[in-house]
Amino acid sequence: MAQFINMLLIGIGAGSIYALMAIAMVLVWRSTRVINFAQAGMALLSTYIGFELVQKTGNFWIALPLAMILGAFFSAVIEILLIRTLIRHSTSGPVAGIVPIIATLGLLGLIRAMIGFIWGNQDIQIQPPLSKVGFKLGQETIALSPMNLLVLLTVLAMVLVLGFIFQKTSLGLSLRASAYSPEIAQLAGIRVGAIRTIGWAIAGAAGAAAGLLQTVNGTGAVSPDSLEFSLLLTFGFIAAVIGGLESLPGAVLGAVVLGLVLACVQIYISGTFVFVVAFALLLLVLLIRPQGFIGTKAGRRA
Amino acid sequence: MLKKHPLAGFSLFGIILFILSNRVDELRVFQGATVAIYVIAIASIILLTGYSGQVSLGQGALLAIGGYAAALARNHWGAPVWLTFCIAVLAAALGGYLLGIAAARLSGPYLAGTTLALAIGLPSIANQFSIFGGEQGLLFDIGAPPASLGENFSQYKWYFWIAALAALIAIYWLRNVMNSRYGRSWKAVRGNDVAAELAGINVGRNKVLAFTISAGLAGLAGALLAMTISTVSPGAFPLALSFSLATGAVLSGVTTLGGVMIGAVTLVAIPEIVDTVVSRFESSESVANNLPGLLVSTLLILTVLFVPNGPVEQLRTRREHRAKK
Repeated sequence: MAQFINMLLIGIGAGSIYALMAIAMVLVWRSTRVINFAQAGMALLSTYIGFELVQKTGNFWIALPLAMILGAFFSAVIEILLIRTLIRHSTSGPVAGIVPIIATLGLLGLIRAMIGFIWGNQDIQIQPPLSKVGFKLGQETIALSPMNLLVLLTVLAMVLVLGFIFQKTSLGLSLRASAYSPEIAQLAGIRVGAIRTIGWAIAGAAGAAAGLLQTVNGTGAVSPDSLEFSLLLTFGFIAAVIGGLESLPGAVLGAVVLGLVLACVQIYISGTFVFVVAFALLLLVLLIRPQGFIGTKAGRRA
Repeated sequence: MLKKHPLAGFSLFGIILFILSNRVDELRVFQGATVAIYVIAIASIILLTGYSGQVSLGQGALLAIGGYAAALARNHWGAPVWLTFCIAVLAAALGGYLLGIAAARLSGPYLAGTTLALAIGLPSIANQFSIFGGEQGLLFDIGAPPASLGENFSQYKWYFWIAALAALIAIYWLRNVMNSRYGRSWKAVRGNDVAAELAGINVGRNKVLAFTISAGLAGLAGALLAMTISTVSPGAFPLALSFSLATGAVLSGVTTLGGVMIGAVTLVAIPEIVDTVVSRFESSESVANNLPGLLVSTLLILTVLFVPNGPVEQLRTRREHRAKK
């Protein structure tokens, strides 16, 4: 029983961080039809900035929102400098489909190299702001520490704020309209270009939060070549795709499902199979329900 | 002459390489072998991307399959060298076939992400099973060059000969495949898969075939790569390798095989250039660590922005444009 509860806790905890990454990928996909493989690099950069801010201010909870704001700023700059140029130069023909993929990969490498230049290639260490010892439930120590709880609450708050923005504000309406049909949105008087940039900026903030929280929730160590961030990117992508790639609730659902499945494998089978199972889950969903958990049939041609 | 008699052209190029390999020092010979391996690996990506419109970021994983298959065949059954390479090709092609069955239904970013996941995951899977030798990996020793080649014949030169011969054969064969019925079908699928289907081409089967052949080539490259470093280990096929190969393919131009040397030479030249810069300016360690990544990434972004079809295709289009005037 205790094992089962631990599985749920670990799964939801991991899933909540994947959810932020998945949300970032979905937002970028909806606004510019690009899968942003550089999201891992942008999250990494924000994490390093967060590290600097923690050093300066000494308080993680001041550093986190500041890092998110800077993450949003960088993301917007990248959209304006790179993605707009890309769309302007957009080629037709065989390479049109791969150009954005390759460009974001190049960006990933560029960001990693620049981080290496600035901070060096050794690990840096961010102190977790709270205890990572699990709460006690009677005699048992459960897999939920004050740190985990705060991560969970932070992610929940962010998802709720995002949901509110998307459903209740005119900005959210513009974001949804531009994703649904850029041409019609433009005719309705929405400045689609600016809305795209905002979509990227929100994604940058979500990615920054994912990176920082993943780091302090894990070992606290990061390096430019961190495998942790490659995994975060991959699991975020998988969560976004199985959730439907178009829908924000889908991304959250996909991430939680992925987190639970992986936790289940980790506890009941073996940690070594986590990756195989994640990969199999991705292929399975793509083959059986290519539009994702939440997504309309006409959503895409796979 | 090269256009009319490709076989003669390839043979001539081979002879030039052979003569060159006797004139330059060991380091250059080793780099030559690396270029030959990259040529095969990049050609496998170009086949997949340029001729069937699919992009794979996980080519490193297929190289790993080839490398491990070759090492296992050599260590467990004592297979002769030429046979280990054949086994590497077959094993990777099988892997590519299975991947292709799933991936033929995917397009664009979905395929890219899925193959990326494979590239990140496969090396760590290899780590878990004792048959693959864990973190240290397996030895892959093809033995000393035959005595008949003389006493001064170095190991590196032997590697170079094998790799260069394999690359020449692979590219020549691939060139012929491209000009065959299959090559034309792939081009049709790339151009417009709906139109291709209406013209009676089985799109799914063609994509799977492209995946299989591409994987086979990648497996050959993987076995050759394992040969030059004498081992296979998860660390020999990192994510960075997959990215470098994708970079090489983009620099070469993904729509033609003609530029395949450009990407391969660039990939080998960049570390060399960085070394020179670092020793000239006595730069710090962080420059040495990060300059290659910086150069490769910048080159990649500039290429997709300004010459997305690659330099060879760009020149051809420009020439045609001028001829029309």
